[in-house]
Amino acid sequence: MGTPASVAQAGHDHAATAVARVRETAESVFEALREVRDAAVACVRPAGGARRPVVADLAALRPLLWARLRGGPGALPSPVATLIAGIGFIAAPGLLADAPWYLEWWQENPSGHPVQLLRDLNPASSAFYDYTHWDWFAGPYSGAERTICGPYVDYLCTDEYSLTLSVPVLAGGTFAGVAAADVFVRRFEGAVLPALREVPGPAFLVNAEGRVVASNTASWIAGSVYRDGGSGDFSVHPVGDLPLSLVTAAR
Amino acid sequence: MNMARRAVFSPVDSTARVDAVVRRLADAIAVGLLADGEQLPSEAELAGRLGVSTVTLREALMALRQQGMVETRRGRGGGSFVRLPAEIDIAARLRELAVDELRDFGDHYAAIAGTAARLAAERALPSDVAPLWRTIEEMDAVAASPGDAGSPAEARARLRRLDGRFHIEVAAASQSARLTREEIRLQADIGPLLWLPHEGLGGHDETAAQHRAIAEAVERGDGERARAVAERHVLDATRHLIELRLRLRE
Repeated sequence: MGTPASVAQAGHDHAATAVARVRETAESVFEALREVRDAAVACVRPAGGARRPVVADLAALRPLLWARLRGGPGALPSPVATLIAGIGFIAAPGLLADAPWYLEWWQENPSGHPVQLLRDLNPASSAFYDYTHWDWFAGPYSGAERTICGPYVDYLCTDEYSLTLSVPVLAGGTFAGVAAADVFVRRFEGAVLPALREVPGPAFLVNAEGRVVASNTASWIAGSVYRDGGSGDFSVHPVGDLPLSLVTAAR
Repeated sequence: MNMARRAVFSPVDSTARVDAVVRRLADAIAVGLLADGEQLPSEAELAGRLGVSTVTLREALMALRQQGMVETRRGRGGGSFVRLPAEIDIAARLRELAVDELRDFGDHYAAIAGTAARLAAERALPSDVAPLWRTIEEMDAVAASPGDAGSPAEARARLRRLDGRFHIEVAAASQSARLTREEIRLQADIGPLLWLPHEGLGGHDETAAQHRAIAEAVERGDGERARAVAERHVLDATRHLIELRLRLRE
């Protein structure tokens, strides 16, 4: 307890702490994606780029992908290892010599070894699998360094309310595909909620479009949309250069 | 313990497990999440992933084979493959359902689709609306030149898959994973049948108009209108289906 000015200062500090926590959480996933990206660059330029890559070349990514999955073999006892539900490399259409569409994608498996997502990726026979439309692919393809897609209902893979974080994979200056990871919204929220709770008054995290990702109040719950009406009731704090912002009550 | 309580605490038998596996795979096949011709993983691998014994899995695959949804080939290049019948034997499937069951399916589906559409209108952002218009355009393209799909049967199968995708996209725009899963389940149960009366290529205009009305209401953020048109869409289709069922001789 203190004077109004010192209370306001404390609120500001708590917001800064929450921003730092969100940033750390998202950056820990992007750090794993940078590792996948670097490993993928080596895979898609077999023999130093002397021949076109094939599906089998991507199998070399597996030990790394498994180790970054929640409960996967070789997972480090770090917070990020408990966040990631799915991770992999999604090839740009036409990259591989033996498959026009392909994703080397692995998912956590609470009862054992990670499992690979196997999909029919022929858009002619399936209504679903032209992945170039999805923001997690289109974002990196159009040059975004770091994309955070969602929260959205991921009906293709997990049936869960999820975030997909992705980075571009460039090989020799050419777009080769995307390194991406799925994080369930409830786990991301679990990681940032302790810090949000410390902020006095309503505080919630929104994505670039204004969709609420995590919140300390039932009035602005994950999945709802925050539209800045210019009312002056809220302050918006950017989270570094990530496509996320923390919204708090204006002082 | 009375009978009901005893049933609650009785062991989950293997029949229930077989049914669960059949249901999971049949849902995915019916809505096109597993595509026609797609090879399923080996029995051992699939059993491991689904967390059931190979015996349970084999029974489930046998049931799916009987329903014509899976085909198993022996020898080199063999394995189990997804089979999505291009033509559905409407009469055979309809005979299995009584009129009151159809009405009940329609009531349940209208509740799910209506609520999903209302929430989608309240919560959708431009990135949720874009896929709806894309699917509507793809359906228009197939309906406009069905010859491109190879055969009329293939054109109808493609329209049916896209129709399913449209409704799943609306449900996903609601931001509710449960409503989306329920939409997928209802579609697997009755979707291919429900959208039949509409989907004959001549009936495409009516379906397309209703899809447009749903997409427009979602885009405008008009929740009540979105709910009303989504319910109407399901109930109209149910009515057509009941008419068909009533004309069917036993």
